[in-house]
Amino acid sequence: MRSRILRDMKARTAVANNELIRQAYRYITRNETLPARTRHQAQLALNSLPTNTAPVFLRNRCLETGHGSGVFREFRLCRFQFRLKALNGELPGVKKSSW
Amino acid sequence: MATPPTPARLAKLTRTACKIFSTVYNPTAARSGNKILRERLVGPTVSSYYPQPLVHFRDIKAAFPQLNLIDTDEKERLDEIARRKRRGKGAPKKGIVTYAI
Repeated sequence: MRSRILRDMKARTAVANNELIRQAYRYITRNETLPARTRHQAQLALNSLPTNTAPVFLRNRCLETGHGSGVFREFRLCRFQFRLKALNGELPGVKKSSW
Repeated sequence: MATPPTPARLAKLTRTACKIFSTVYNPTAARSGNKILRERLVGPTVSSYYPQPLVHFRDIKAAFPQLNLIDTDEKERLDEIARRKRRGKGAPKKGIVTYAI
């Protein structure tokens, strides 16, 4: 599972590095006052960027296990790891409720 | 009886309001793509999701080659392999297939 985390880390760096150029292309594409040819070229340039530079490519993964689903954003843990840690008292402020 | 203001007058009012509040005067609602420029950059947030970059022993070793650092875990592993090989318990050679009959 470590490899998935590494892949995601790599993608995050790529997103951060390419964000400005992506936003510039997106602006040109969405701006209807610019000539259609320019806008089309910007769209093509945007499409030709590597896939992992798109923010939608990112996935929040569990820090412990690298699991990709059921991850709490606040704790960055998947639900099972969250439960284990919470029951173990490793998460400050988290308490098992009962009523 | 007061007459309603003319469209031209209303447009002028909007233009003045835009000037005062420093907003863009866009009566035809043309898509200018400005909302993309207004977006917050997410780079710093997304790249700080994982707490710290992974540092392996080999990274430290590569950073300070003059120190001649020795990875004890790796050395132990290689020694164990050598010991097993001496006892004839090592991994078989690649490409040689033996069948137990």
